[in-house]
Amino acid sequence: MPHEVKMPQLGMTQDSGVIVAWLKAAGDAVAEGDALFEVETDKATMEVEAATAGWLAGVRKGEGDDVPVGDVIALIVDSESEVADHANAEAEAEAEAPDQTPNEAEQAEETPDGAAPHAPEPAPASKAPAPMPSAGKVLASPKARRIALEKGIDLAALRAQGVKEPIHAEDLSQVVTGGHSVLTAAVSGTALDALLASSDNANRAALFASFARGAWRVLFDAETGVAIRALDGTTTMTGEDSAALTLVDLCDTRLTAYAPAGGGSTLTTARQGDGYALTLAFSEDALPMPLAIALLDDIAARVENPIRQLL
Amino acid sequence: MREITLSQAVNEAIAEEMRRDETVFLIGEDVAEAGTPFKVLSGLVEEFGTNRVIDTPIAEPGFMGIAVGAAMTGARPIVDLMFGDFLYLVMDQLCNQAAKTHYMSGGKLSVPLVLRTNLGATRRSAAQHSQSLQALVAHIPGLKVAMPSSAYEAKGLMKTAIRDDNPVVIFEDKLMYQDKAPVPEEEFLIPFGEANILREGNDVTLIGTSSMRQVCEKAAELLEADGISAEVMDPRTIVPLDEDTLLASARKTSRVIVVDEGHQSYGVTAEIAARINEKAFYHLDAPVIRMGAMDVPVPFSPALEDLTVPTPEGVAANARKLMSGEMIHAA
Repeated sequence: MPHEVKMPQLGMTQDSGVIVAWLKAAGDAVAEGDALFEVETDKATMEVEAATAGWLAGVRKGEGDDVPVGDVIALIVDSESEVADHANAEAEAEAEAPDQTPNEAEQAEETPDGAAPHAPEPAPASKAPAPMPSAGKVLASPKARRIALEKGIDLAALRAQGVKEPIHAEDLSQVVTGGHSVLTAAVSGTALDALLASSDNANRAALFASFARGAWRVLFDAETGVAIRALDGTTTMTGEDSAALTLVDLCDTRLTAYAPAGGGSTLTTARQGDGYALTLAFSEDALPMPLAIALLDDIAARVENPIRQLL
Repeated sequence: MREITLSQAVNEAIAEEMRRDETVFLIGEDVAEAGTPFKVLSGLVEEFGTNRVIDTPIAEPGFMGIAVGAAMTGARPIVDLMFGDFLYLVMDQLCNQAAKTHYMSGGKLSVPLVLRTNLGATRRSAAQHSQSLQALVAHIPGLKVAMPSSAYEAKGLMKTAIRDDNPVVIFEDKLMYQDKAPVPEEEFLIPFGEANILREGNDVTLIGTSSMRQVCEKAAELLEADGISAEVMDPRTIVPLDEDTLLASARKTSRVIVVDEGHQSYGVTAEIAARINEKAFYHLDAPVIRMGAMDVPVPFSPALEDLTVPTPEGVAANARKLMSGEMIHAA
């Protein structure tokens, strides 16, 4: 039975830890007490030791990842031969658990020969230059927040598009008057349907959201959250705390598209014949057309060929 | 309209009220023969005599106590406190007695008293004769606080203060006594709790008390050259405070700088800024900026003293920061 290596709680108020460095690679033999990786909390950097002897396998978090306390980071298996098994199992588990972030999916792409975990691969050279949004709470004036609330403008999306913080009322004026542009993609559903059918607890909306986050990361070289607006009106955040994109999954209805009032970018997914229709409603002031096209095209490609999500 | 100095305006106001109401009398150091060190009260003793213009020994707690008792028993004293810095000497008479008597007597007694004093640095008078202590008395329930910003306000607010049935403290800026402003010949009063909009603007609100009103007006001129439209407001009385007018301006411009010559920490600017934050928060596009005197004893060195007080250039610089949208953590 493999031993699960989890993010330890090293402080009373610690919610997560950042993996600073891996000291062992997948496939390495470890003895009980060997230092596996260094973790940084808000107070200090500490080494985490192996609780049991065996072989390190199925490493699913890389250096720089901020991992919630208790999340499984890797496994320690009983024999060297199991290392390769778990490398494969990781990829499958990833596809069946689409609510994990795309970053985790990348990390799961472990080669069977036990190569060391690697940093996310560089974004394609064609990537449009985009400013790097800062993480966390968006800094905006009270007036800007009020206007954003009234108009349904997503401040995090503005920041993602390079509006300088703190965001002021003036920064919103163009967005307010911008209105929405709409792009639609029609994609084959064969591969996605097969993936969804392969698991009892697959969550289609979460899978779409992870595709969107993956495409966003490739395009902007930055993480974003995706807010999933369910049909009952409730909203669930996936990924980062602030969402540049809202997802509305209409696949269980006869509806085909949803155009939101106000600002922000919204991805709508709907059935279309045997495939899917993906609609991206966006404000061109916040998300210029070439970027919107690249974003939706990448999401569409991931839907048609979910393995892309893992690459 | 004729222009008179702030000094003449105060003199006129007191003379008019003393003619109107014979229970009004003046008491303080050097008020009669000397007419105060600033010559504000010159000529009054000749008209009203030494029974109504009373020179006292150098004994602030004594004459302040006399005045409180006189006010409780039917007179309307105007106490002249030569420097605002001497407020510390009359704190018990003013804050424990005058401010609380009406309340503690169940409304049976009132204290219709005016404490006339001054504020303002840059007169090279050093740390014990240069303070602006309006925040000290504005903190005490039961005291009204007027801060005239020109000869016009000095006259209108003084007359209202003398007619008020409760204790009022008036702070005149000792550097403004020779400043002239248009003042009508005919009688007028300025009601308490009515702010004055001196200049309309859309980009930033500058709220200035007493002589800081002039600082704000000059800053507004500097800003106009940059294409920034500043609104300038003078609260005229800080107790009662005309919140509605100040808040309306804050909602309009979304940016506010409050300027008062008291020390910045725990001061008048902080109170006004806090009220704007509480009541116009969702209209603000930038933090409300306080500008007061530096938190140091006022230096005697002229070069240093001039550094401790808000200037038009400083106000304008902060206004430009607010307009530029840069991150502001402190003024």
